[in-house]
Amino acid sequence: MTAAGTPVLPAALVPDDPGTRRGARRWRTLGAGQGAGSLPGLAFWILLVLFILGPSLCFLLLAISPRLFDEGRAWFTLTYLRQSFTGLTALALTNSLWVSAAAAVMGILIGVPIAWLTARTMLPARRFVAGSMWLLLLLPSWLPAIGWQRLVQQGGPMYRLGLGLPFVTHAIMGPFGVVLLLGLRCVPFTFLAVTAALSGLGQEFEDAARVHGGGRLAAARVVLPIIAPAIWSALAIGFAETVSDFGVAATLAYSSNFPLATYQVFQDIGNFPPSFPGAAAMGWMLVAAVAIPLALQARALRGRSYQVLSARTRQITRRPLSRVGTVAAVGGVGLFYLVALGVPGFGAVSGSLLGDYGGSFSITFANYDALFRQSGLLGPVERSLFYGIVAATVTATGGFIAARMLTRRGGRAARLLDFLLLASVALPSVVFGAGYIFAYNLPIMSSLGINLYQTVALLVIAYIAASLPTNARVLVGVVSQIQPSLKDAARAHGARAFGAWVRGVLPAVSRPIVMAWLLTFCAVFLELPLSQLLYAPNQPPLSVAIEDNLSNYHFGVGMAQSVLAVAIALGVVAITLGAYRILAPAGWRRIGGANRG
Amino acid sequence: MAERISIERLVKTYPGGALALREVSLEVPAGTFLVLLGPSGSGKTTLLRCLAGIERVTSGRIAIGSATVADGRAHVPPERRGLAMVFQDYALWPHLTARDNVAFALRRRKLGRTESLSHADEMLTRVGLGALTGRYPNELSGGEQQRVALARALVAGTGLLLCDEPLSNLDADLRERMRVEISSLARDAGATTVYITHDQSEAFALADRVGVLDKGVLVQEGTPEDVYNRPATPFVARFTGLSGELPVRVRSGSRGGRVEVEPAVPGAGRPFYVRDSGDAGLPGASGSGRALGDGAVDGNGVVMVRPTGVRLCSGDGEEHHLAGTVTDVAFRGRGYEHAIDVPGHGLLTGVFAATRATRGERVGLRFDAEGCHLFAARDSVAPVPVLSEAVAPAG
Repeated sequence: MTAAGTPVLPAALVPDDPGTRRGARRWRTLGAGQGAGSLPGLAFWILLVLFILGPSLCFLLLAISPRLFDEGRAWFTLTYLRQSFTGLTALALTNSLWVSAAAAVMGILIGVPIAWLTARTMLPARRFVAGSMWLLLLLPSWLPAIGWQRLVQQGGPMYRLGLGLPFVTHAIMGPFGVVLLLGLRCVPFTFLAVTAALSGLGQEFEDAARVHGGGRLAAARVVLPIIAPAIWSALAIGFAETVSDFGVAATLAYSSNFPLATYQVFQDIGNFPPSFPGAAAMGWMLVAAVAIPLALQARALRGRSYQVLSARTRQITRRPLSRVGTVAAVGGVGLFYLVALGVPGFGAVSGSLLGDYGGSFSITFANYDALFRQSGLLGPVERSLFYGIVAATVTATGGFIAARMLTRRGGRAARLLDFLLLASVALPSVVFGAGYIFAYNLPIMSSLGINLYQTVALLVIAYIAASLPTNARVLVGVVSQIQPSLKDAARAHGARAFGAWVRGVLPAVSRPIVMAWLLTFCAVFLELPLSQLLYAPNQPPLSVAIEDNLSNYHFGVGMAQSVLAVAIALGVVAITLGAYRILAPAGWRRIGGANRG
Repeated sequence: MAERISIERLVKTYPGGALALREVSLEVPAGTFLVLLGPSGSGKTTLLRCLAGIERVTSGRIAIGSATVADGRAHVPPERRGLAMVFQDYALWPHLTARDNVAFALRRRKLGRTESLSHADEMLTRVGLGALTGRYPNELSGGEQQRVALARALVAGTGLLLCDEPLSNLDADLRERMRVEISSLARDAGATTVYITHDQSEAFALADRVGVLDKGVLVQEGTPEDVYNRPATPFVARFTGLSGELPVRVRSGSRGGRVEVEPAVPGAGRPFYVRDSGDAGLPGASGSGRALGDGAVDGNGVVMVRPTGVRLCSGDGEEHHLAGTVTDVAFRGRGYEHAIDVPGHGLLTGVFAATRATRGERVGLRFDAEGCHLFAARDSVAPVPVLSEAVAPAG
């Protein structure tokens, strides 16, 4: 008997009371047990529905049930979906599909050789090659696009330097340029995926092919399919990234009269009157397009295993390149960086040093001077800096909590959360932003007292909501490696709960959290589609201000803002990493670092 | 057709300066099953990879048959050396079926696809995998993967077969079965085989000839019996199986390859005879080696005691040469192996007796000259810690 006089029965003999125990168990499974306690867990799910799932789902539902949101008469219709296969929308969709496919393939064709050279040969400056890939990854696609665009436009630096090459202008300001820029954007994804796969691919697979009679080419033919999962992943990511890209669509493609699907969504919403159902139908198409490479990938890899890592896998050996090979490899990699970073960088910097209406190539700092003197030009920079810091801080924290929830095993909630976050990662930003405009403009929001439409708060929430799924996925890797014993050991040796977390867990996750913070900061600081769709009146973020300046022919000032933006982003990265290096205890920095032994 | 291998003064230095092979010279007659034995870092894998053409030699020469395949300047690539190899982790391509893995090795015979697959199926059937030809490596057990790797190496009928510790990933039972299969399949194929391992029992069981490598130097090469019965250095003796090392004083010169010694601690035991390795440079010894002390017979030495060179006897009678205390007993099926602590002389392990002695019991040790090899004392490792102070003897 207990103190209260209740008989104690073995748990297995206690009947399930639907109203109490079973309900409580389900509640634990779906919410509290998976989160950091009952209330925080519930709050997390409410926020997830309100800010990540709800708006996008409402928006997508609108395409087939406009009456549900008072946008039409039909409860169910396929009219808008059918319309997306006609006229300009069909053209934009077709363009997006073939351009994305071509860009993804281009990413493979360039990225695989660079990854191979970096991972398997004594390529000079290979560390620089790998580091620069991160720079390419951090830069939004619209920055190189406007750099190229400004460089080759009539009256741009190319013409002012006396290089009147109209065919270059036509090539860049058209489908070729769009594929080129989006393809270059795919290279870092291929590089990172293939480098990781090659580092786990022991030398013995190649050696086995050689000793059994295969030459270099035959060995490459037999070994390359082993990294097929990485290549397919890179193709899928490249396709998904480019089909949902807004940066090139809104800049180079738009200026070249080459319509792409993402910009079509933007235009459908921005036109008067806006066509939300039409935009939603296009949103469906974009989401469906993302599924194409994933399905192809699953089909290609079905039924096979590519497990090559074992405890005895022989380490790779880097091959020295011949003199000719070194020159060719360095030349090829150099050409890639010249096209991907050098040319647009030159375009942006030189554009920022030209007077807007000058006819000659005379260098002036007037645009930079204007940035710091004219009112309203520096404001967007400060604003985006603030947005970036807030969004990155909230997202890194929320991403860590979500990652913890994802790594708790066995719960349906964890599996559901995993699926929802993955689906959110695949959602194009422009669809996400359109969902926000639509959902937070609904009358029901006002009646609920949620008046966020056209506010800074909604923009920052959107930044956070769009970044959180990616952050959570990034942090899942490291969080899943944390054994409870780390914290338990600290508790067992006298630390309180918070102290145990700080001493036992934080050191292991500090570096990934800092990296996640930086990734989010850079993404938000230079973000375009959500900023374009959701910025509060008279408070444009940096990317919108640059776009406005460029579209109003203030090329010099716009380019100066771009250069300043990149400099600030790189500065924040340097300061943060430097601060971590100085402030974090030495032991923290060793975790996850390279083994020099 | 089996190929003869000739290796002359082979040196391999890795980038960074690590010297992996130091002037290794070796002749392997055609059709021989040579096992290279050595610990990790001894250079055996490097030697095999140089033979395969996966590594370039720094200097020296390798010839397969009559053709020089590597010297300081020339390097014939692996695919043109006409050899096959079984890798430590099998290196089966995971995206190809067992049949395709095996058929790949037939490309040098330039057969049609159908004929290649047919040959691959035949070879897989020979290694007992006829029913699993369409499976991918991840659908096969460790032993089955090993057989696929073996089939791939044998299918093309090359004159030279290289095996890089192919049994190291298998459990003890499967290991023994696969050892027998490799031995018979390689000999049936008539190829010259170079097989590397760090397991001396595997080496002796498989080899026609054994080469022992230490720190990049080939320290001994010969038949398994030669290497076991006449180890050239203390390292070879230690690496091929010892009960222990006994510090002794030498009482006589070498007579008929035998030397009389007595335990190093005065009065600890009786004199006994051991084999003269030639290393000690004793008067009358056939080998030239380092002297124990200016050629004097009254010097210190160390006796490398094989498990076959010592047996248990009564510690009280006249039969024993030394006495010690039993510190551990292990049942081995056919009898018992004992660990004996001999005060002042260290620990002897694996001392066999048909009956069990109890822990702490005082026992006698009798040495057989055929299993005891005398070397100069300065080559000895540090004496095994004396356990008599830690383990209280019974009685």
